[in-house]
Amino acid sequence: MAFKRDKKEEEDGGGNPFENIEKTSVLQEARAFNDTSVNPRKCTHILTKVLYLLNQGEQLGTTEATEVFFAMTKLFQSKDVVLRRMVYLGIRELSSIAEDVIIVTSSLTKDMTGNEALYRAAAIRALCSITDVTMLQAIERYMKQAIVDKNPAVSSAALVSSLHLARSAGELVKRWVNEAQEAFSSDNVMVQYHALGLMYHIRKTDRLAVIKLVTKLTKQSLKSPFAVCLLIRIACRLLEDEDGAPGADSTLLSFIESCLRHKTELVIYEAAHAMVNLRRTTAKELAPAVSVLQLFCSTSKPPLRFAAVRTLNQVAMSHPSAVTACNLDLENLITDSNRSIATLAITTLLKTGAESSVDRLMKQIASFVSEISDEFKIVVVQAIRALCTKFPRKHSVLMNFLSAMLRDEGGLDYKASIADTIITIIESNPEAKETGLAHLCEFIEDCEHTSLAVRILHLLGREGPKTKQPSRYIRFIYNRVILENAAVRGAAVAAMAQFGAQCPDLHENVQVLLARCQMDSDDEVRDRATYYYTILALKNRSLYNSYITESLQVSIPALERSLHQYTLNATETPFDMKSVPLAAVEPLVSEIVAQKAVPEGTIMSTPAPQRLGVSKEESALELVSSIPEIAALLPQLGPIFRSSEPVELTESETEYVVRCIKHCFARHLLLQFDVLNTLSDQLLENVRVSLEPAEGYRILREVPIPRLPYSESCSAFCLLEFPQDDLSASTGTFGATLAYMVKDCDPATGLPDSDEGYDDTYMVEDVEVTLADQVQRVWKGNWAAAWEEAANLCELEDTYALTSMRTLQEATTNIVQFLGLQPADRSERVPDGKSNHTLYLAGIFRGGHDVLVRAKLALADGVTMQLTVRASTPDVAELVTSAVG
Amino acid sequence: MGLLDKLVTLFGLRKQEVKVLVVGLNNSGKTTVLNHFKAEDDKSTEIVPTVGFNIEKFKNQNVGFTALDMSGQGRYRDLWEFYYKDCQGIIFVVDSSDRLRLAVVRHELDLLLQHPDVAGRALPILFLANKMDQRDALSSVKIAAGLGLDRILDKPWHICASNAVTGEGLEEGVTWFTQQVRQVGQPGNRPSRGGPLAAAK
Repeated sequence: MAFKRDKKEEEDGGGNPFENIEKTSVLQEARAFNDTSVNPRKCTHILTKVLYLLNQGEQLGTTEATEVFFAMTKLFQSKDVVLRRMVYLGIRELSSIAEDVIIVTSSLTKDMTGNEALYRAAAIRALCSITDVTMLQAIERYMKQAIVDKNPAVSSAALVSSLHLARSAGELVKRWVNEAQEAFSSDNVMVQYHALGLMYHIRKTDRLAVIKLVTKLTKQSLKSPFAVCLLIRIACRLLEDEDGAPGADSTLLSFIESCLRHKTELVIYEAAHAMVNLRRTTAKELAPAVSVLQLFCSTSKPPLRFAAVRTLNQVAMSHPSAVTACNLDLENLITDSNRSIATLAITTLLKTGAESSVDRLMKQIASFVSEISDEFKIVVVQAIRALCTKFPRKHSVLMNFLSAMLRDEGGLDYKASIADTIITIIESNPEAKETGLAHLCEFIEDCEHTSLAVRILHLLGREGPKTKQPSRYIRFIYNRVILENAAVRGAAVAAMAQFGAQCPDLHENVQVLLARCQMDSDDEVRDRATYYYTILALKNRSLYNSYITESLQVSIPALERSLHQYTLNATETPFDMKSVPLAAVEPLVSEIVAQKAVPEGTIMSTPAPQRLGVSKEESALELVSSIPEIAALLPQLGPIFRSSEPVELTESETEYVVRCIKHCFARHLLLQFDVLNTLSDQLLENVRVSLEPAEGYRILREVPIPRLPYSESCSAFCLLEFPQDDLSASTGTFGATLAYMVKDCDPATGLPDSDEGYDDTYMVEDVEVTLADQVQRVWKGNWAAAWEEAANLCELEDTYALTSMRTLQEATTNIVQFLGLQPADRSERVPDGKSNHTLYLAGIFRGGHDVLVRAKLALADGVTMQLTVRASTPDVAELVTSAVG
Repeated sequence: MGLLDKLVTLFGLRKQEVKVLVVGLNNSGKTTVLNHFKAEDDKSTEIVPTVGFNIEKFKNQNVGFTALDMSGQGRYRDLWEFYYKDCQGIIFVVDSSDRLRLAVVRHELDLLLQHPDVAGRALPILFLANKMDQRDALSSVKIAAGLGLDRILDKPWHICASNAVTGEGLEEGVTWFTQQVRQVGQPGNRPSRGGPLAAAK
């Protein structure tokens, strides 16, 4: 990038003319806009500077922006075309910062309906950027006219602006569908494309309408190739939706297939890309698409070659046999002068090729790996990762290559992806573990990225003690303590402690090193060293387990808050760790599915989904504390132990939509009912959900919704007490009815017609309380140790026949979901082709009872399961076994 | 300040450019008044409430006017003041049939006159008592009294009854206005302006 800029500057000779401008001086100059007679050339130049500043990320304050904006409005008096168009751009840039921007509405409407063609499209775009929902009605007429305008630029501008407006004023834009329809029949390719975009956007939420639109359009032949591409994408989205209408599917598929014979390359590629990426395409349907891509591989146009090889690369893992057919063409592309194409070709071959060709391809790639950009290096790394899982025996070649790459220069993303790959290899292939760890050790010797070093140290701490020769890692780790910054030193100390805890013969040495670390200059490092030193000095296995090998199980933000609360009230009693809500472990099953959805080897590295800093329980607590009736009871209830996912108690398109969230406390259950009123002519009052609780439950308090107007969603609450003596009665089904008082009201104003109302009820589905609602998932790093330790607790064992399950994986997934426990040691994944499997689960029952479950599964006619439960009380163990039965 | 300049100005050969502000309550006829001055083929056939402002240009007795037609709706009146500073004359349009809101007009006028960018400047103000054809229209004398125009001592002002739809009375008003603006624009009176010769070039 920097190189590019340098080059450009050289060509320009003078460099960037705007390089040294300053905000204050430009704002000063902008006062020239106020002169009685406008000098168009000068003002255009100043305006350019203002726009340049804004685009460089310079921030203008509201007053500054408003001042410039109003000065700019005076430029409307000039008839200069260039200046006027600059003013439009200025309006758009400043519209979000300045105040009272609606001042130019009339001036812009005049320009957009005027005779000057050069003004019209730009004026529409500027107008839509300054208009908010309340003002939109005033310009609606002009927008409708503009959409159907003869001039394609005007029509396109109006259509695209409508799309932008739809974000804030969806309802209003929906009324323009007829105009969009008319624009769609335009001869201009762009207008047709944009019109289709708007038409689709308006119907987007209504699946049936979209299907109707697509089926209608697939029968016509559209003039615009762009519109056809969009249509293909819409069709794909419909096909990907799971509950697709069966009749429409075949028409959609045949439409996409017919597009493979379109006369435009753009459309052909789009159709082929769509075909290979559809999750449900069969090998037969795939063949024509792949042959199209194959053809593209040998064209003279680089963009087409690139597109084809990139698509093949993406699907190489999902449809290896189809891609193998193109191997010959891909071989030719290895020597392509365009490095990006060559890289993609090689990595595709690596993914699909035979084991024997790996060495040759790796040599080829090594010859130019230093010339390609980081992004493509990541593609190479991902290909290698795929190779390793496919050919475990080749790991030494690949590992050497990876370690060579690690030594090269590269950004964090690139290095992280290499480290990730090595870690995956280590985890999936025990043979590669020692070499992999050795490479990583070498890497951290000279690693500039703190985050990576910390991760690798953590990994060494986890895996190192289990290797044959743990002592060799200690040197690498201790070197970090001497050489690195505080964060890495801290991680190194923690890693060493793992060795101390798990390798008795290293215990002495680790203690010596930790003692030295207590002299560190950083507080955190010193604290950690002291902490581990003290625990290790006690030589107590169970202490090691709970305080070194296992990580903290409570939710960190909750812990912080609880501690803060504790420091506020001066009490003599020590802080109780049990009172802190546990951290919810994200269900891994969904993660695996999510990973699969991302096509392998995409060029852009997809960012990992951001974990929310606040857990469900945290946000629930916040909500509940805001209800005075419940908040008063909170001190008795204790912290929220677990909040369930919302459960729909009605269909989503009924008069009232009711969802239920179950908040579980140590001895109480709080049901939160979110009620949405979808009837515009009704005002509901005193809305509550009347429950028929299962036996043993006691309703303590109900909080109704006092007033529920149209399209608003409010929450009613119901607090119950769990059955006290009989734990097995705590799972059950509650009959539920929505009860409320209806007042008819005027749909426009929302005011009730009279004060008289009548009582009514509405049946909703039953609320079910299951075992999973009362259990929090806990991740055990060392499940086996925990299981041994729990040997003296209550143990129950039972055997079940799960006849409805066809595969072990299906059974495993169901058990995990049903029990609501956290699988450990990756046991939720069943290796392919095995006929028996053992699932390890861990969790905590409300009230702080540990639960460990071992499920031995065997596949015969259906699945047979032997379930062993170890829990701290017999009641809990019994509940778990009975829940499965 | 050569003799030539004076001669040029005297004979009205040199074209003068002025910026004027057209204000008044909503529905008083500002846009219609300006529409009357536009060339025949530029005229809009339908007048809609202005949102914000519009810029119109017209000529009278060799003076080029750039008129800022401000929106009169209540919530946009605050925006007038952004344009006070660099205008050289104000046209204030009043709906003479709207007796009820005359008090509002007076209030808005007072605000305008007290504004630091207007007070103390000898800006000519033309009042148009518009819609004179309406049956219950007040006469211009009554409106002048109702607005307390006699209090304005430091600015030249003039009021005339008008009908913007037919154009009746507008010529009279604008003729006066043009003369006033031209006097203000005389070289002697505007020492801050650059040499007129430069402008003539």
